[in-house]
Amino acid sequence: MSHGLKIFDSSGNLTFSTVDSTWTLLGVFTSNADTSTTHTGVPIMPTRIVTRVMVDQISGDDESYVHTFSLSGSTLTTTAPSASETVKTVFMVFGK
Amino acid sequence: MAHGLLIKNEDNEVLIDSDYIHYHFLGKYTHSSVTQVPDVSGGGDANVDAGGNSPNENKGMQNMPSKGEIYVYSVPVNGANPPMCFIKPTSTGSSAPFTGIVLTKQSGTNWEIRVFQSTVTSASPVLYCFSPLSQVSTTTASGDDYGFKTFNSSGVVTFDSRFKPLRAVGGGNITSPGLAHTGSTGSGWTVSLSVNASSVSTSFTSQSSASDLIYYCPSLAHACQQYTHEEDDSGIFDWESYAWARGDIWWCFYRSCFRIASTSSFEANYGVYARGHIYEHKGDTTSVFAGLILGALTGGAYFAAILATLVAAGSFTGANVDGGNYLPYENSYRNTSGNAFIISKASYYD
Repeated sequence: MSHGLKIFDSSGNLTFSTVDSTWTLLGVFTSNADTSTTHTGVPIMPTRIVTRVMVDQISGDDESYVHTFSLSGSTLTTTAPSASETVKTVFMVFGK
Repeated sequence: MAHGLLIKNEDNEVLIDSDYIHYHFLGKYTHSSVTQVPDVSGGGDANVDAGGNSPNENKGMQNMPSKGEIYVYSVPVNGANPPMCFIKPTSTGSSAPFTGIVLTKQSGTNWEIRVFQSTVTSASPVLYCFSPLSQVSTTTASGDDYGFKTFNSSGVVTFDSRFKPLRAVGGGNITSPGLAHTGSTGSGWTVSLSVNASSVSTSFTSQSSASDLIYYCPSLAHACQQYTHEEDDSGIFDWESYAWARGDIWWCFYRSCFRIASTSSFEANYGVYARGHIYEHKGDTTSVFAGLILGALTGGAYFAAILATLVAAGSFTGANVDGGNYLPYENSYRNTSGNAFIISKASYYD
């Protein structure tokens, strides 16, 4: 690299570099089972990505919907597709 | 930000922002056990030899596609936020099995993670896990005071280079296929429910070695498909009147999973997570009762009763998986869109 930042550990191993394209966690938001929830205060960065994890899924008898979502500005709107068979969902918003 | 540190790359992407908590390397974990969802299989036979042509074939799991394996991990991280667990798959390339996290569950002071792999292999996937520093052991060796550390306005450490911050090399969103099996699902008493959907592919920034890549992409999508068949007959055989009827239902429950197809390609498809087959077969030499069994099987008391019996048999408890019939809906799929993924390298943390 001709410019930027590299961070090394005490053994001289590279632990971080501005050549990397990393993701910074902007927030963790949980929507409970069968419940639509609007989360506010999501930090804004030029690029964001939303990962979803279904928690405590998945029994063999239910349809196990994951919440759908939309992210606009500082608001993450999450929607339970089913009122009785949507699993608890953890949203992790990353930005860079 | 009014104060603090903000580092961006030449694409104006934020690399370090002292205001926000960064994920750091928690550890590398191998599985503690392997399991599979037990088959739901059974049926009822009553006087089935009454007629000379009464069909007795394929009453078990013949012709059903093989199930994948479920690897169980216990990640020692205590906190409300689940760890980010990247999968180091057993292999990469266009013939590699598909692998995905299918269960994330807090268990005491640990998080239990289950990884599903579409085919059985001798090698096992390995997890590379990350958490906020508040959930990572920050004990350092004496003299290990080199590096770079940031704090937010509350004085909380948000980045510490000594604990291997997460370094991503790619990411994006991928959509899983709809149905896992396309086309005919069977003929006669022969079922055809193997995964034959085309893999969905998406690209990421090209890397030098596919085998070094790890990915974070919890499985969201699932599909459930079934095949039903019934036949009946009546007449005279060997100077006796006869009648028989048989109705069957086969099904597979599929979970989405993923693979590194190349140095720049990430693919999604399905694996067979659970499967079942139940039937009812009856014969008689004195009365004729053509048909009607399948209707009772798919929607009626017989179906419910035999499933309840099979599920209550304790095999699910023994296999350490959630019980159920794994037939929650018919010939459809759920949660296929917007599955975000992040790519990193194992060599950063080995």
